[in-house]
Amino acid sequence: MTSYKDKIQISVAGEELSASIVTNDIANNFFAHRRSGRMALFLFGLIFLAGIVAFITKAMDGFDSSQRANWGYFAALFAFLLSAAGSAPLVAVGFRMTANHWRRPFARISEIYAVVGLLTIVCLMPLLALLPPIGDCSSGPCRKTLWFTSEYWGVPTFWDFAGLLALVVCGIALLLVSALPDIAQISALSESKSRPLLSKLTKFWTGTQSQWHIHRISLSLLGGFYFILLIGVQTIINVDYVMSLVPGWKDSILPAHQALTGIQAGVASVVIVAFIARTFGGYKKYFPMESFWSISKILLALSLLWAYFWFAEVNTLWYGRMPVEQNILKLVMFESYRLPFALNFSMNFLLPFFILLWNPIRKSVIGPTVASILIVVGSFFMMVRLYVPAFGIQDVTAFQITYVPAAIYPDFLDLIMIAGGISGAVFIYLLSTRIIPILSLWEVKEGLLYQRVRPFLRGEYQVLGKPK
Amino acid sequence: MYEGKTYSNKQINDDLLSSLTKSSLVYWAIVGTLGLIVLVATVAVAFMINKGLGVTGLNRPVMWGFFITNFVFWIGISHAGVMLSAILRLSKAEWRRPATRAAEVLTIFSLMTAVLMPLIHSGRPWRLVYWVMFPYDFQRGIWMDIRSPLVWDPAAVNTYLTSSILFVFVALIPDIAIIRDRSSGIKKIVYSVLSLGWRGTTRQWKFQAIAGILLSALILPVFVSVHSIVSWDFGMAIAVKSWHSTIFAPYFVIGAVHSGVSGVVSVMILMRWLFGWQNYVRHEHIDALGRLLLVIAIAWFYFLLMEFMFGIYGQEGDELATRHMQLLEPPWMWFFIVFIITAFLFPVPMWLFRRVRRNLWLMLITTISVNIGMWLERLLIIVPGLARKQVFTGTWYTYAPSIIEITIIGGTFAMVLMLFLLFAKIFPLIPLFDIKEGQVLQDKIKVGKAEIPAVIREE
Repeated sequence: MTSYKDKIQISVAGEELSASIVTNDIANNFFAHRRSGRMALFLFGLIFLAGIVAFITKAMDGFDSSQRANWGYFAALFAFLLSAAGSAPLVAVGFRMTANHWRRPFARISEIYAVVGLLTIVCLMPLLALLPPIGDCSSGPCRKTLWFTSEYWGVPTFWDFAGLLALVVCGIALLLVSALPDIAQISALSESKSRPLLSKLTKFWTGTQSQWHIHRISLSLLGGFYFILLIGVQTIINVDYVMSLVPGWKDSILPAHQALTGIQAGVASVVIVAFIARTFGGYKKYFPMESFWSISKILLALSLLWAYFWFAEVNTLWYGRMPVEQNILKLVMFESYRLPFALNFSMNFLLPFFILLWNPIRKSVIGPTVASILIVVGSFFMMVRLYVPAFGIQDVTAFQITYVPAAIYPDFLDLIMIAGGISGAVFIYLLSTRIIPILSLWEVKEGLLYQRVRPFLRGEYQVLGKPK
Repeated sequence: MYEGKTYSNKQINDDLLSSLTKSSLVYWAIVGTLGLIVLVATVAVAFMINKGLGVTGLNRPVMWGFFITNFVFWIGISHAGVMLSAILRLSKAEWRRPATRAAEVLTIFSLMTAVLMPLIHSGRPWRLVYWVMFPYDFQRGIWMDIRSPLVWDPAAVNTYLTSSILFVFVALIPDIAIIRDRSSGIKKIVYSVLSLGWRGTTRQWKFQAIAGILLSALILPVFVSVHSIVSWDFGMAIAVKSWHSTIFAPYFVIGAVHSGVSGVVSVMILMRWLFGWQNYVRHEHIDALGRLLLVIAIAWFYFLLMEFMFGIYGQEGDELATRHMQLLEPPWMWFFIVFIITAFLFPVPMWLFRRVRRNLWLMLITTISVNIGMWLERLLIIVPGLARKQVFTGTWYTYAPSIIEITIIGGTFAMVLMLFLLFAKIFPLIPLFDIKEGQVLQDKIKVGKAEIPAVIREE
């Protein structure tokens, strides 16, 4: 053990922090309802409302599986929200498991995304009604399905819904368990009317050693369960709402590719919120460059992995020269939907790769943020090029598609619905940050315990604790 | 988390170079036995070449059997080297230090063995000269048909082998210099040449570190491409429906990592026992590798599920027949049961427990079990796929290996182990400089009343 007098410091040059400073700082920021925040909430709420109106207007034209083609963009919106917001909590789950210190400021930002799951449940409900029946192959036309037969109870709609519901419940439970110590502390500091309610809800939390032990185990279990559920739900949603609607499309990597795109978009969404919180939210000192630097490496790796999965798919389908596979490639990539594909490919791989390839850019705040914005937009276009053509196929029971269907373009109502849906997600997120602090108090403070700065000659070096 | 004692640089040199300087009877007994098995396998190869492929169990329609299974298996094992060394080096995982060299060396020897398999499988290995130097076999033009994955394959494997050798060599230079300084006579001359004038100056260390990072980053795409291309040997073939799957490339890569990292854990435990490196290969390292294996195994299982699910999803006759053969027809169904138990159901639940991950015997058993399963996995992909090709419905058949094939396969396992052990006689199997660097970066901090291990952050 060294005889140096250790300094406790978070990695922002020169500034020493203590647990009490962090608590007061974050609590003050949390209680300060800025005018810009209220304006943003109002604006996104308004667009969300417009989206709901657009949805109702469109639904009045009819709503059954024969009109599926009209709802392709809505399905893409749902898939995008599920992928990006649903995958975001994995940042906290994954890097908490690997005990990375740099994840601490990102953890709560990522967990709050679980609340957006409520919106995805609402979006899934109408889509369940649009799904064509599987049919009975022994007595008439049927389509290929992941469930193999319609004989089992509730396939596929009930299981899709149940899977998503379980995912959202698990995500929200993860958020609440994680935020419990913070809510307890914040409620103790609050002077508003909501204090008695919050105090009542969290009064059992006194921060004993056994409570922290249970807290840690609960987070690990919920995190592991969330990860498994997320991959499972993405897989069944992808197969039920994309592949099984396009006759002859057998693409075993596609569900995994959608899940990977979701993880990529989830990480990117966290970076975007972190940038906003750092730049406009008054939390600059809690987002050291190291955090952005580390997460940008993850983004770079995910971009490369995205390209690899894409290449594995295209190479296998293209090389075989089978007519049905050629038609599918033309449909979702090279002919009908080549524009969304080009945007998807550029924004999920090419541009982020060339941006994040350079260390000085990775080691900045703006570089990873720009790459993240591109990734999120690109992920939306991936869902467009998958879900819109799939919803456009009329004869889902054919043996295989023998032609390349034309592209379906969005109408005005589709555009309003998309804007409304995305704004709805932002609106729900902003509302949640009024109840739960956007920075994980206990994790940031725990991070302080494990960081030391020690003198070396005329300089200093940092030591990171690695507990069991 | 650092659980070991701290040693002086001299002590580290003495301990880790003991494999070069001291020889136990057990060591030579093992090397001798392995050498004997290799000799028998070589005789079997010679016999097969003399008599022709008729002495094997290969026959229409199953023309790929044990040899190609073994080729894919050894390519898979070779993935551990880069996985552990490059990725963990780039991510600055402290626990990588005692594992990297063994992993890299295992990569090289398993790749060399893998390369031999298609040559042996061809039955006429001398024709390699024609393939490389003359357009003898290719009637469609004067060049080889580069559109065939069978041509991409040797290109990728040889690139991987070359870059892996370079990767190991760059990391070996500082250690070779230490051996040079401790040896005399002809040995000193040889090690002097190999150490490239290493004096350990700041400038040399800087270049060595940069070369290591660059090679780590450059070798990663090669590592992914190799097993992807091996998978495309199968996946590009539309005639064998169960092979034509888009998930094959990542499925093969993650399977390779699963089997390769398991292989590294096995050899690390054996190394610790054989050379008495208890202070260097510690429980914490095996524990960390166990946790890594847990994640890899779960990811691999997801890909396995996808591969099987989409095999049945298409509802195509020959694919269903293949799956029927794999799952319901003996002996393949028994192989499948053994495969799924040994590769996943037995080891993975065990790895969930810290006690198991820190029990070396159990880790040795579970990691060997994984590789038994992963070898069977490749066999189950190759043989039933070929045995149920639609265009050859009239000749649907099965495959049983001959004693010649079994002997040769046994020989390859002996060869890899023997080369690994012989390497330990020439170069250290644990990087000396890495262990020393790890010790320099170790620290402790006080949190409340407790003192916890810490690490100095590198920029």
